[in-house]
Amino acid sequence: MSIQVEHICKQYGSFTALDDVSLTIASGELVALLGPSGSGKTTLLRIIAGLEAPDGGSILLHGEESTAHSASKRGIGFVFQHYALFRHMTIFENVAFGLRVQSRKIRPSRRVIRERVTELLRLVQLDSFARMFPDQLSGGQRQRVALARALAVKPKVLLLDEPFSALDAKVRKELRDWLRRIHDELHVTTVLVTHDQEEALEVADRVAILNHGKLEQIGTPQAIYDHPASPFVYNFLGNVNLFHGRLLADLSADGSASTQEESIQTAIGFVRPHELELSRTLPDGWKSVEGSVVRIHAAGPQVRLELSIAGSGRPFTAEVDRRRFEELALVPGEKVFVWPQSIRLFDSDGARALLDQGAGI
Amino acid sequence: MSGRNHSDLLKPSNAQRVGRVALIAAALAFLALFLLLPVTIVFTQAFSQGWAIYRASIYQEDVLSALRLTGLVAAIAVPLNVLFGISASWAITRFEFHGKSLLITLIDIPLAVSPVVAGLMYVEVFGLHGWLGPWLSDHNLHIIFAVPGIVLATVFVTFPFVARELIPFMQAQGSDEEVAAVVLGANGWSVFWRVTLPNIKWALLYGTILAASRSIGEFGAVSVVSGHIRGLTTTLPLEVEMLYNEYSFTAAFAAASLLTLAAIVTLVVKKIIEVTSGVHRHGEEKESES
Repeated sequence: MSIQVEHICKQYGSFTALDDVSLTIASGELVALLGPSGSGKTTLLRIIAGLEAPDGGSILLHGEESTAHSASKRGIGFVFQHYALFRHMTIFENVAFGLRVQSRKIRPSRRVIRERVTELLRLVQLDSFARMFPDQLSGGQRQRVALARALAVKPKVLLLDEPFSALDAKVRKELRDWLRRIHDELHVTTVLVTHDQEEALEVADRVAILNHGKLEQIGTPQAIYDHPASPFVYNFLGNVNLFHGRLLADLSADGSASTQEESIQTAIGFVRPHELELSRTLPDGWKSVEGSVVRIHAAGPQVRLELSIAGSGRPFTAEVDRRRFEELALVPGEKVFVWPQSIRLFDSDGARALLDQGAGI
Repeated sequence: MSGRNHSDLLKPSNAQRVGRVALIAAALAFLALFLLLPVTIVFTQAFSQGWAIYRASIYQEDVLSALRLTGLVAAIAVPLNVLFGISASWAITRFEFHGKSLLITLIDIPLAVSPVVAGLMYVEVFGLHGWLGPWLSDHNLHIIFAVPGIVLATVFVTFPFVARELIPFMQAQGSDEEVAAVVLGANGWSVFWRVTLPNIKWALLYGTILAASRSIGEFGAVSVVSGHIRGLTTTLPLEVEMLYNEYSFTAAFAAASLLTLAAIVTLVVKKIIEVTSGVHRHGEEKESES
């Protein structure tokens, strides 16, 4: 079932949670709503679910106007950040709940309910836990029960509100892969809210990035990673979690790396740490910046170098692979020449992209 | 190494040990003097003339009727309390509305106001010379110096018990489970019976026990509105006082022993609920978790 979000606005007192957000999610798609806290992503999810009413705009489910429909009538499955399992019911009863509360006319027979619950518990690999209570399970297991419970009523849309954020990193990664497999198996239209860019980029078919209640960009993970539409998206996707480094900003403002005719105006340039080339000698024909090595982090497959630009002392980070690092054999305090393989330039207030170029500046 | 140092630090010094023993001894002495001794005296006095007299003192028509009235009042006041307690705590913990903090404050008023004042307020409103008095007597309705007044006064003083027990408990539990039930298609009725009630049942029972025990033992407010009409408007606590004032000590203590027994039963039930359900422990756990 497709979801159309049209010009949704939501205000909490003087705080604008959502400001004219529109997006369309195709049937069977898995879309991640990504953004920092306070960006409105959870509010949007709750409005799609019918748990919150928008101040303006409308929600269309399968092309049908649904803004006024109550949450219990929308045929959705919702998975909460803190599981929200019924603590006084067994795992079996938790999963069966949605079927048991159906009106007598459409409620399946006891036998059918039993079969369906058993089948779902098998799907989430918890069939041996049916008689246990939620507090006897680990966080990851509880969230799988919550997913089985949401799927029991055969929802046309599955909504997940930061489902893995309360779990530790390893379990989170496992569940993420597992969610993707379940989605590929069932093809339920799924919306996942997360503040974890790695999670969004890895799991989703498309990622929608929200900031201050506005939709910044929506696209496939590769598209938004390769072509961020705004400095915010660039910064947000370049977080330490994904790249284990900070962005290098302002190379062009420093003067030496600006190569285009447009350099008459001030601009912000973005280069990811791994897109920087390093050399001990001044390269021919390349415009480079002279920097000095402040610190070296050599643990892991990539070596991260904290550098500072000679003169201004502005800090930046570069990442090189191990082989290259051994060739360079740098130690802290040494001078090094740095140039970008690719760079993206925005004008100084970040409103307009000036240059989005791959290799070969 | 560090582990041993740690336990050394925890080991109390001699002075600390003496202080601890002294404190415990003082608390125990206090308890014995002001609680255990009086309770024992109630029972020894009640049985001082032997079992037969004890039995006869209780099987007086007046005592039995006081016992019946006390039961009736509790049977009306407690369910009303449960109903009010659940609706008030549901409203306070699940909805945002204007005047919410005012409502929370109002719930506490009966605990702050002296019960005698509560009784007087009802006399002012419903009494013969009160606000609604003339209208009530025109319609031949008796509230003050009659059973309805006693029920009203009891409801007033027991008002906060269930609500005060449920509000913090429901706050700690949050509404996630109820929202989950709604999204799964449950209607309000199903949500209440299948999710809310099972979750709050122990706290509710706990609050109900407290309310019941208070409604059985209430003296002040009831005393003002009852009029002390023997066999008609005296509850058990009033009967005890009246018997005592008439120098029927054995009978007074026999009736008092029933009240004491009720209190002991309440305490035991309360303890059982705490142990089996972990009502109070549970609330704390939830809070520390979130």
